[in-house]
Amino acid sequence: MNLTFRGGVHPKGRKELSREVPLRRFDPGPCEMVFPLSQHIGKPAKAIVKKNDPVLVGQKLAEADGFVSACVISSCSGTVKAVEKRRTIAGTMSECVVVENDGAYTPMEGVGVRQDLSGLTNQDILNRVKEAGIVGLGGAGFPTHVKLAPKEPDKIQYLIANGAECEPYITCNDQLMRSNAEGIVEGLELTLRLYPNAECVIGIEDNKPEAIAAMQKAVRGKARMRVLPLHTKYPQGGERSLIRVIAGVDFPVTMLPADVGCIVLNVGTAYAVGRAVAWNEPLYEHVLTVTGEAVKSPANFIARDGTTFAQLLEACGGVKEGVTPKKALSGGPMMGVAVGGLEVPIQKNTNALTLLAEDRVERAEKEQTACLHCGRCSTICPNGLVPALMADAIDMKNWERYEKKLYGLECIACGSCTYICPARRPLTQMFKQTKAEIMARKRAAQAGGKK
Amino acid sequence: MNQRLNLSSGPHVRDIWSTSFIMKMVLLALMPATVIGIITFGLDALWVVLASVASAVLTELIFDKLTHRPDTWKDGSAAVTGLMLALTISAKSPLYAPIIGSIFAILVVKCCFGGLGKNFINPALAARCFLLISFPGAMTVYAIDGVTSATPCAELAAGNAVNITSMFLGSANGVIGGSILGLLIGGLVLWAFDIIHGQIWISVLAGFTAFMGLFGGKGFDPGFLAAHLCSGGVVLGAFFMATDYVTSPMSRLGQTFYGVLIGVLGALFRVNGSAPDSFSYSIIVANLFTPLIDTYVVDKPYAFRKRMIQRRLEGKQPFRIPKPVIALGVIALLAGLALSGVYSMTKENIDAQKAAAAAQAYKAVLPEAESFESCADKVETLDGQVYGTEFGRTFIKDAQIGKDANGNVVGYAVSVTCAEGYDGNVTLSVGVSTDGKINAISFTELHETPGKGMLCGEPAFMDQFAGKNAEKLILGSDVDAITGVTITSKAVTNAVNAGVDFINTQIRGE
Repeated sequence: MNLTFRGGVHPKGRKELSREVPLRRFDPGPCEMVFPLSQHIGKPAKAIVKKNDPVLVGQKLAEADGFVSACVISSCSGTVKAVEKRRTIAGTMSECVVVENDGAYTPMEGVGVRQDLSGLTNQDILNRVKEAGIVGLGGAGFPTHVKLAPKEPDKIQYLIANGAECEPYITCNDQLMRSNAEGIVEGLELTLRLYPNAECVIGIEDNKPEAIAAMQKAVRGKARMRVLPLHTKYPQGGERSLIRVIAGVDFPVTMLPADVGCIVLNVGTAYAVGRAVAWNEPLYEHVLTVTGEAVKSPANFIARDGTTFAQLLEACGGVKEGVTPKKALSGGPMMGVAVGGLEVPIQKNTNALTLLAEDRVERAEKEQTACLHCGRCSTICPNGLVPALMADAIDMKNWERYEKKLYGLECIACGSCTYICPARRPLTQMFKQTKAEIMARKRAAQAGGKK
Repeated sequence: MNQRLNLSSGPHVRDIWSTSFIMKMVLLALMPATVIGIITFGLDALWVVLASVASAVLTELIFDKLTHRPDTWKDGSAAVTGLMLALTISAKSPLYAPIIGSIFAILVVKCCFGGLGKNFINPALAARCFLLISFPGAMTVYAIDGVTSATPCAELAAGNAVNITSMFLGSANGVIGGSILGLLIGGLVLWAFDIIHGQIWISVLAGFTAFMGLFGGKGFDPGFLAAHLCSGGVVLGAFFMATDYVTSPMSRLGQTFYGVLIGVLGALFRVNGSAPDSFSYSIIVANLFTPLIDTYVVDKPYAFRKRMIQRRLEGKQPFRIPKPVIALGVIALLAGLALSGVYSMTKENIDAQKAAAAAQAYKAVLPEAESFESCADKVETLDGQVYGTEFGRTFIKDAQIGKDANGNVVGYAVSVTCAEGYDGNVTLSVGVSTDGKINAISFTELHETPGKGMLCGEPAFMDQFAGKNAEKLILGSDVDAITGVTITSKAVTNAVNAGVDFINTQIRGE
């Protein structure tokens, strides 16, 4: 079997900076911890605490509001200082619960206690996942209890655990798989109960042999579970790339993975499910990598939500001497978001802080030339699109052609075309913008039609 | 940490390949053909190449400065255009031709339409056609080693035979970039590195070959097809001109269609057109179709290619040989072909020289003969075995009947080798006239010890045979051996006796 998808690129991995550093817990001392109410895709959560309320570790700060939404859990003990707008990773001000952390980390009663799993029904599992506030930790932050409840659970063929970690620099899931393989497998086993006809496939890129070995050891003897080493190629860890490799299907963006019989969970999410269901431990901490050429000693952490990037960087010894950081990324260099300052709280789906000593985009802007129509973008597009023609259509403001003839809305914004473009054109950026524009236009048209 | 941080949308890293890197790769890929061209056509070719490249780059530089555009001349695309133009013209072109051509290519075809990425036809080809039309006399003078002659392409058009091997290697007359070997090496390397699209060059060559085979008038004769493929810039066009990014379509289907269009038009122009080097025109015509093709033929995303989904679901994976393996294989094959080509070329020469030496020897032993008629059939019956039993290890190599101007037989000549010389073979020709006397002998191969065996080649020894009756001669009585050179003397006498015997029994015996 061909263990990869078509297209894809090979950016420098740079994982050697942090891949051998074992996970360590980071608990900040008494300080202010900030919990945004919108750390997921969907409606923001509704705060259920108010100023001066005492809180404990594992206590719910905000309740899921609506179907696609997730709770927010406190990662520290202390008192609620305010519920107000604060600056978040996205760069905007948004509603947050601010807790004055007492540094004691007193847990709520029952958190971290082994649960009896014998009489557990499927609905119990889903409820616990929901109450734990679990969202997809791979980056998008889609509420997991929604993802785990497809219309027809019997039709799910594959439960895919995503341990590919194809994003350059990031190594926290590698370390998580090496040190907590049993925990991940426990979470996957519990999830697998929901899908009687599914097989669980754990996909890991072959640049992580230790993680592959650890996971293989953990699944030994387990029914309906196997580990699948994958080619090292970006975006191997994309949901669609994994499904293409494991289930062998390509499907349009209008369809969900569940529509083709697949559920994809990040290994970190699977671990969180296991902790929540088997240990009654809601999602208030997760693994995270602090890395980049500008970091003194890059490291992998188990970090509490609400900790700031600045605190984590300090725990790594700060900025490397003689290096000026040019860019700070929440996430890796392919899909990560540049942040303007490090005094922002980490969220559930924050998997890395990458501090770059060189901003390649600066140079790329100087190198930009006209499109050569060389076709490299269409060769590497994991979805088989033709980015060069899409960009031409945007230049001509031909939305009709962009959407209908070129299937422009199929773009998953993985960034591969921008990475590969020899003319250094900001293709992905154009497509993201155009997609937003077309969607807004459609919404406007729909709203107009209703009137 | 209070430094300012950059903000931008992702991705935040880039590949190392840039526009200028690709252009440099193309320049590098053109080098084998350029170097072979300069070796074949001499310094003239070098001046044409330099003038063309320099004026192309300079034109873009000046245009950039005058119009206050960014320095696009640095990206190498102008140099590629200049070099390509140089490769498509004759080394004998007057130097103003590549200069005017490059200026036209860069200024009119490229810059006036918006610069890199915006030209609607291939600038180098446009310039070439511009030059051919403007200076038809000066542009079509092709010369090699200072001798003007027709190009193989023109010869083909006239229905004459051409030497495919020399065309392949690049030693034939024509444009500077005429070496198929050099072009193929560069082109296949570009393909292996994914810089040019296989769909294009393969479909160009396939379309051309198919049309030529069907309508060229000679069917699918390999020699005829190879001659056409190796001439008139078909390979240069297929690998370097048709694959020009800007003027070729983007989708695989579109590229295939475009390539076939070029191949078929090129062959059509050649079969029915008047200009023998019309391949450039076919590419330019196809260039004009590119925007149309790109508008209507677009590759669908994988999810919408039903056939693909089906194949994936059934678990069938098409087997693919990695591209570098194919490219290396083809290069190895080409190198092999080139070597065998060199061998066959030189072998022909060696054989021709031997034949000429033999003819001279026959003439020397039968001076009255105006022409010779081969008796190869009689020689062949000997099957290369030792001749007779009493002449030592002698072999009959060839036999001829000499005739005068009126066709009357005047004598017989045989080429004989005796393997028992002092130092290897002794080969000589014996001439016997119709009156049954030995006319003369002449050596074609004699490399004995100087001052000893070599004395057998002196008239003092050789002339002893002349006038003797054509029967078995005995060394010591009929022929005097040279003192101290018994072995060679004996070998020569044996050879003469074997030859005479062969004439008497096999040729005159009838």
